Amino acid sequence: MISKKIAEAVLEEALRTGGDFSELYMQDTETNSVNMVNGAVEDARYQRKVGAGVRVLKGTRSAYAYTADTSEEALIATARAAASALDGVKEFESRKLEVIRDGRTAPRIPFTEVNNAKRIALLREGTKAAKAYSDEITQVVASYMDCDHKIMVCNSNGIWAEDRRPRTRVFVQTVAMANGEAQTGNVSPGLGMGFEAYERINMEDVGREAAKIAVTMLHAPECPAGTVPVVIDGGFGGVILHEACVHGLEATSVSKGNSVFCNKLGQQIASPIVTAVDDGTMEGEWGSMHFDDEGNPAQRNVLIENGILKSYLVDILGARRMNHPVTGSGRRQDYTYAPTSRMTNTFFVNGNDDEEEMIATMGDGLFAKNMGGGSVNPLTGEFNFSVLEGYWVKNGKILCPVRGATLIGKGADVLMKIDRIGRNMWMGQGMCGSQSGSIPTNVGQPRIRVSEIVVGGKGGAL
Amino acid sequence: MTFEQFKDACFRLALEKGCDNAEIYSVSGDSFSVNVLSEELDRYSVARENGLNLRVLFDGKNGYAYTELFEDPEFLVDRAIDNAKAIETTDVNPMQGVCEYPEITPPENPIMELSESEKIGLAMRLERDTLAFDGRVNRMGYCSVSTGTTHTHICNTLGLNAESSDKFSYAVIGPILRQGEDENEAYAFRFGKDLLDCSSMIKESVDNALMRFNARTVDSGEYRVLIRYDAAADLLQAFSGMFSADSVQKGLSLLAGKLGEQIAAENITIFDDPFEKDNPRAFDDEGVPSVMTTVVENGVLKSYLHNLKTALKDGVASTSNAGRPGVAAPIGIAATNFYIAPGIKTYDQMIGLLDNGLIITELGGLHAGLNPVSGDFSLIASGLLVQNGSILRSVEQITCAGNFLELMKNIETVGSDLHMGLPGNGRFGSPSLLISKLIISGK
Repeated sequence: MISKKIAEAVLEEALRTGGDFSELYMQDTETNSVNMVNGAVEDARYQRKVGAGVRVLKGTRSAYAYTADTSEEALIATARAAASALDGVKEFESRKLEVIRDGRTAPRIPFTEVNNAKRIALLREGTKAAKAYSDEITQVVASYMDCDHKIMVCNSNGIWAEDRRPRTRVFVQTVAMANGEAQTGNVSPGLGMGFEAYERINMEDVGREAAKIAVTMLHAPECPAGTVPVVIDGGFGGVILHEACVHGLEATSVSKGNSVFCNKLGQQIASPIVTAVDDGTMEGEWGSMHFDDEGNPAQRNVLIENGILKSYLVDILGARRMNHPVTGSGRRQDYTYAPTSRMTNTFFVNGNDDEEEMIATMGDGLFAKNMGGGSVNPLTGEFNFSVLEGYWVKNGKILCPVRGATLIGKGADVLMKIDRIGRNMWMGQGMCGSQSGSIPTNVGQPRIRVSEIVVGGKGGAL
Repeated sequence: MTFEQFKDACFRLALEKGCDNAEIYSVSGDSFSVNVLSEELDRYSVARENGLNLRVLFDGKNGYAYTELFEDPEFLVDRAIDNAKAIETTDVNPMQGVCEYPEITPPENPIMELSESEKIGLAMRLERDTLAFDGRVNRMGYCSVSTGTTHTHICNTLGLNAESSDKFSYAVIGPILRQGEDENEAYAFRFGKDLLDCSSMIKESVDNALMRFNARTVDSGEYRVLIRYDAAADLLQAFSGMFSADSVQKGLSLLAGKLGEQIAAENITIFDDPFEKDNPRAFDDEGVPSVMTTVVENGVLKSYLHNLKTALKDGVASTSNAGRPGVAAPIGIAATNFYIAPGIKTYDQMIGLLDNGLIITELGGLHAGLNPVSGDFSLIASGLLVQNGSILRSVEQITCAGNFLELMKNIETVGSDLHMGLPGNGRFGSPSLLISKLIISGK
């Protein structure tokens, strides 16, 4: 993107007012997307985002400046703007950029070799399968996205890291309508690779599954409200770990004392059957990268082992505040954000429990088969998330589907109340929003059971 | 290339390559933001943005391509034409030609005039004043001051040339209060001229955080509910997509076919007002001159929100609601200043009218726990328990569930306390709303 010589000059300029660390981040990202409504392409887009950001640290103080103009003069001016937050004199020199980290591997099928016709064919297949599922499907919105994200990040410690992160994802959203009521279903798989992803993602399955959820929910009564045992299926069910716990392990909250998990390293924070990992190194996964957005190698971080808290997720600034090593977790949406500690692929590790037994012995409660999104307040640990596809369980047997369920609780309580963990982990894809923008993350788990949780809904007893 | 050279080259190449028309939407701007923590700079950010979105009309179809690198106009034009060729809908895509715009008085923005160090000083003072306001304020979770200028330019081969420069400034604080082992935080914001006096913002955030201590759940069941203005505005925003003509035409709105019908209680009137004094604009994101729209009048649905394309399809005029969620996005529909008109009862009078029930002061999980198509919601909530017209205690860890259209019909009373939110992709406001019943899940 630029020469090391220019980069070194920018890093040097940024240290002019007394900073002890400077960093230059550059990005060149090309994105293609196509949207189809009821089988007809409605819009197709191309987007190229190019820009740079300069960060200066002094102790735990942080300044960031960014620009869409990547000329040498603009980069120097941006370094000066970041440096202007400090008012000292130069104390540190920038090292020569000699530690080279290269994560630029080309995808097997780059998106530049794919035309719109191929993208549209995928959407057509998904739409067709959804419509074929039932006459009650009145709407199918299918979208496709591919993105070739190329970054360079270098810093005054002499690190020059480049990474290339191809990603692609499809969304199929369905609406089922009858008697003036509407219910929706959606399925949206994605992978961190080139167009070869569609050798693994089967569009017919995606369309059919999205339709099945909407039609099932259309004929489901409202979920009863109350505090009951809940079995959460694998895959995107791992959003409970993401929301209820790991946001509270990010340095962003921990380093400022704003998390219920502060000062808990080495302590029991979850049931002893729980082991949880954040792993940015998984080949071809949605949340993976080779190097993070601070130039550090991605890592497999064991966060909780047999219920004991083992590690936080820590970026460079967080490491300074917490006296904790960096964990390869510095991420940002794009050059308009300074990096901070974020998740990658986060999941509960497989346990030993039988998936059928955990329903058979739960008595009355909820089986949450497909989860929607959620959010958390890390200070109090209060989380909430929605259930896209749920089933009411009576005396250990699935009684009927139920709609409109929400799960709420406090992370620290729920982790302790996990009493079953199944044997087969898989993951689902999401976009996680936080201080450094919206980034791709995977959540995952095997099927688990929580002994009690507050279920929100508006239905009567079933 | 300069912007002008790049734009001219795009237009010339587009017409040479057979496009009927071409349009460029560009946004550039500078922004400044500072967050302080313990009297030190925690985050400081200055920025210069510049991006350009090309839209071509090729064979009657829209194609888009966006770039931040003004280097290769031919590549951009080719990508936009490629994208236009992929379109299969038969929609007609009009473009706005030359027109007159209403005069807009820009709102006052006193802190825009401050120097960077004065803005940092303002953030430091906000932190000090908040800590001094109440002994239970332990530290700040957030304390920021932001300002910026956004220059928007829309021009096309029909001769449209619309430009505007908008200034914005706002402050957000989030004090963390401690009582014994418990901690709670609450946010408050002010923008524009209201930044001159931040004492009411400090009081608001501290009062809201204090309200959360000693909270516990309630029994599950059906409750009378007073939804406070801020929670009501959040709910209105989450369901505002129902009023988009695009959602209606695509079969994604329950309001399809309901024009002229009673969709809410008679005390409900909803406006979309682009001229609202604190956040006015002269034209929308496709250059259509702003008009005021009555969306709901005395409970009757009067109009959807339209852009040029949806308006043409329905045979009506655009309501000047063309919007783009970002510079790189295609034209869609967005509200301007969208709010429920206030009634005459004060918040305190509404608590008396509630008599026995719950006040909901905050709703969470709005991006996940509701379905904008069906209108169903099931959301985490917190608030206050009210008995015989007076506040008894705080409530947390409950959910409230219902359907937006049913809720709109069950509104008994509309308060006089209209509050508007922060401007963003649309700006939403509501007074407090007294609802005859909602399902609450607790213990």
